[in-house]
Formats: sequence, C-alpha cells, structure tokens
Amino acid sequence: MTTLVAIGAAIAVMTGIGAGIGIGIATAKATESIARQPEASGDINKALLLGCALAEATAIYGFVIAVLIILFLK
Amino acid sequence: MEEFASELMSQLDSKVSFVIPIFGGIPVATSIVITWGIMLFLLVLSKVFVRNLKMVPTGSQIYLESAVGWLNNFFEDILGEEGKKYLPYLGTVAIYIGCANLIGIFGITPPTKDLNVTAGLSLMSIFLIEYSGFKAKGLKGWVKSFAEPMPLLAPINFLEIFIRPLSLCMRLFGNVLGGFVVMELIKLVAPAIIPVPFSLYFDIFDGLIQTYVFVFLTSLFMKEKMEINLKN
Repeated sequence: MTTLVAIGAAIAVMTGIGAGIGIGIATAKATESIARQPEASGDINKALLLGCALAEATAIYGFVIAVLIILFLK
Repeated sequence: MEEFASELMSQLDSKVSFVIPIFGGIPVATSIVITWGIMLFLLVLSKVFVRNLKMVPTGSQIYLESAVGWLNNFFEDILGEEGKKYLPYLGTVAIYIGCANLIGIFGITPPTKDLNVTAGLSLMSIFLIEYSGFKAKGLKGWVKSFAEPMPLLAPINFLEIFIRPLSLCMRLFGNVLGGFVVMELIKLVAPAIIPVPFSLYFDIFDGLIQTYVFVFLTSLFMKEKMEINLKN
C-alpha cells in the first residue's frame, strides 16, 4: 500500500514537466524579444513573470496534490 | 528517514499556540500569533519612519518616499486612474506577504505556510475583485460581464469566481511549502554552509516573487473586471 501511495504521489509531481517546458519556452521567447527590442524590457519582464506564474501553477497543483495523497492515503 | 517523514508531517499541520479561555476556549493558531508580531513590527516601523516628515525629504525619508512611490506607481500602472482608491489595500497586502515570506530567514515559521492564512488572503482578494467590478459597472454591468465575450462562456466565467481564489491560495501556499520541504531535505543531507545559497533562493527570491505575483494577479483581475466594454 505504501509503495502504491508513493507511486501515486510521484505521478502527481510529474506535472512539473509541463511547467518546466512552458517556463523554458516563455523565457526563451522573452530573451529573444529583449535582444530585439531592449527598450521594451520592462513590459516584457512583466508579461514573462505573469506567464511564468500561470505556468508554474500547474506544477504547484501537482505538488499540493502529491502532499495531499501522502497525507490522506497513508 | 521514517522519523524525518513524521517530523515533516508534524510541521505541516497548523499548531495551536494558546487557547483563549472564553466561550469554551478559542484556539489561536501559531500563524495568527506570528501575524500579530508582523503587524506590531510594521506598526512600529510606520510610526518611527513617519515621525517629523519634511517638505523637502532628507535621510531615511528619501528611501521611504521612493519605496512608497514605486509601490503606488506599480499598481497605478495596472489599475489606472479609477483604481486609485484600492492602492492602500494592495500595498498593505504586498508588504504583509513580503514580510511573512521573508520571516523564514530568522527561523520563524512563515504564516503563509499555513493554508488557512493564504485562503483568507485569496478570499479577501476575490471579494475585492468582484466588488471593484460591481462598483465600476453597477449591478447590471457586473452581471452582464459574465456573458463576455459571448453568452456561451457564462458558466466558465462563473466558475472563475471559485477558481481564481483557489489558484491564488494554492500558488502562494504551495510555493512556500515546497521551498520549506526542499530546504528541510537539503538540511538533512548537508547541515552546514551548503543550505545558505539555497536559502537565499527559496527564502528571499522566491518569497518576493510570490508576493509580487499575488498582488500583480489580484490587480490584473481587478483591472479586467473594471474594464467597461465599449460595445455595450
């Protein structure tokens, strides 16, 4: 039972893959656009931070679900 | 490893620091006591720094004015002229969450690690978001705003009332908790020196970023609610 719970939690944490890829793409595009247009870096940074926060949320949900699985299915 | 897991679990649930002995005992959580501490600290700071302000700023007043100006400009950029009355609340929340996240450096449990604190903050946020839309558009406009961009999406717009606070709450809580768990694991592997740079990242950088994101998203949602659709 314990191993099954651990595997379940591990699968839940896999949401981090999506968030990592998403934030990577967003940062790549942001650096590209800053290189093209350095004077707009303030606005780009703001948009990047917002995108990162929203993309990161999925990873955080996965983490919270994993913690809940471990806490309540023990 | 087994005792570490149980210690981690005991850190996760919110502890009760004392019980007020009226109405059959009201339990007061540790996070509330720490919040009182932060409130006291901020109150003392604001009393000390606001003493004898001058027309032409000197000394610490320069830093104070630039900090407050930066905070006000940041929110005003997003909210615009009509959102000016919400600046004090947003600024207060930003300062409080910032202090709450940074307090981990001094070895005190950050109150934002308690799910109830972040849930309360995000509930306050969603009430303010809906209130600002209501105030800017009136009842009719507020109800109509759910049918945008088309009436078919109304259920999804309605669901957002519940999803937004949930995601705000879980984002702050999950980040602080995640940083805490990772820090505990690092401390288990290497108790000396090595945790310092990680602590810089998780306690200071991540804490400030999450503060920024929380108030940024709140004001962004408010702006979205306040925007008057020119088509109608």
